[in-house]
Amino acid sequence: MIAFGATERLSRALRAGALIVAAVATVIPVLWMMVGSLKTETQLFSNPLALPDSPAWANYGSLFQQFHFGLATLNSVEISLGVVAISVVLGSMAAYGFSRYPFTGSRMLLSGLLITRMVTPAALVVPLYLIMNALGLLNNVLSIILGVAVLNLPLVVWVLRPFFDGLPREIEEAGLLDGLSPFGVFWRIAVPLAAPGLLTVSLLSFIAGWTDLLFPISFSSTPEAAPLTSQLLQMQTGYKIYWGSLMAGSIYVTLPTLVVSFALQKYLVRGMRLGY
Amino acid sequence: MSSRRQVRGSRSRGPVATLLTWNRRLQLTGISLTLPALIFAFAFMVYPVANVVFLSFHQYSPLRSANTTDAGLSNYSWLASSDIVGHSIWITIVFTAVSVAIEMAVGLALATLLAKLVVESRHLFGRVLSRILLSSFILPFATPAIAGAIAWKMLLHPQFGPVDALLRTDIAWFSQFPLASVIVADAWKTMPFVLFLVFAAILSIEPDQYEAARIDGANGWQEFRYLTLPSITPVLAVVAAFRAVDAFTKIFDVVFVTTGGGPGNDTQVFPLLIWRTAFDFLNFGQASALAVVAVLVSAALGASLLAVRRLSPA
Repeated sequence: MIAFGATERLSRALRAGALIVAAVATVIPVLWMMVGSLKTETQLFSNPLALPDSPAWANYGSLFQQFHFGLATLNSVEISLGVVAISVVLGSMAAYGFSRYPFTGSRMLLSGLLITRMVTPAALVVPLYLIMNALGLLNNVLSIILGVAVLNLPLVVWVLRPFFDGLPREIEEAGLLDGLSPFGVFWRIAVPLAAPGLLTVSLLSFIAGWTDLLFPISFSSTPEAAPLTSQLLQMQTGYKIYWGSLMAGSIYVTLPTLVVSFALQKYLVRGMRLGY
Repeated sequence: MSSRRQVRGSRSRGPVATLLTWNRRLQLTGISLTLPALIFAFAFMVYPVANVVFLSFHQYSPLRSANTTDAGLSNYSWLASSDIVGHSIWITIVFTAVSVAIEMAVGLALATLLAKLVVESRHLFGRVLSRILLSSFILPFATPAIAGAIAWKMLLHPQFGPVDALLRTDIAWFSQFPLASVIVADAWKTMPFVLFLVFAAILSIEPDQYEAARIDGANGWQEFRYLTLPSITPVLAVVAAFRAVDAFTKIFDVVFVTTGGGPGNDTQVFPLLIWRTAFDFLNFGQASALAVVAVLVSAALGASLLAVRRLSPA
């Protein structure tokens, strides 16, 4: 019995050890970049494995002085919020409609909408470029918002529909009997009840807008509408890579999504689970 | 729905007529709720895709002329004869297969260990540890793809990357082993998705079954092989299918930032090839022909994915 307990303990420790090693390996890329972003270029190249003597915040300063990060931050925020607004408003209405008021052909439309999730974004961006050009929306955050949102919308419907399916119908029926219109029921009863689901899709939509690179590099050639992701590319030119700024900028882009994801981890994991 | 035939037969009668309008009202409500999303998807998804089919039979170079000229099948014959296209598709298939295999293997292993830890930890230490581990594993998912790609470019840099420094080598990983390096960077980014889904699937297995296995004298490996694995096979199938579709259609940022498709065309994955043809070489006609191929592949993959999903109870 004692021998069994000892091996059991050992195997537990080994398993925990393996997990800890894997977790460290998982966070190291971002962690090491954080360390690197605080080194000067000389320190970086002279001793790769050393920690910085004193944090070189100059790399972070350069983001705003050289690489328009002030404007880019504003653009990133606008894009993310725009994507959240369009995806959540249109997506929640559609998900509710598909869930509660099926109509002739709605199943087919739903399947069609979900298949659009498999569209190659780089293929869509080719004709969209011409449309945005015709609409005069190039170098405008709106073109980026529309592009990201249309690719994000199917995911939102996919995640939210089971949410509405799971809500108790009785409350909504009571609302209808009390004289609320179907839209009133949706807005005043279903939406508040589905708040956790809406938070999940808002989070996913925000991340989609914040991290997108494809649409900015396709639709915006000037810093005017460029978000943080595409501004990062300005730091690696064919002629020189500004490694200090590049690492600082990457950490800067990563921090907001990281903070939000950790804070709302439960909702993010739920989004992953419902999103496939 | 089943009452429709009766309704049609006897439109004049009062209560049935009410039923008809009621039914119609329900349908109208459904349509008006979904219409905004459908119009939006039509304008910026369906119409562009239709437009890309049109463009694929035309020549269009925005810098040279604002007009499209008829190109017949020339874009498609270029596509069929070009070595670059076939090579690109092959690279993308290899990338998808290897990347998904790694993610699945690592994700499954870590999820199994993590689930065991969570189930067994009745003490505070175990619970805190599993919390920290879960948060660590979510980090790549929350990191923007471009930032993750830059991190890997830094890690694998021949002059100041810690990997070469530790190995005491000066291998330029992204030029000497470009595809393998891209796969590692992508697998790092997407592994959490597999891990969390498999983790949830394992936790949803009835604890009684593990109890029974324990009583029957099953060791850890047997428990995994004969209980855990069969129980989560459907989930594994759906997750792998999903990841494969996503890897094939959405691989872009990591390659764009690290190798840019090179050296040569060694990592020119299909989405990147489409993009470069349009936005670097400004040949929208050829890019559209490539996009049509991509859309057809997506439609096929999407339809089969819906089928797989319907087959599995997950």
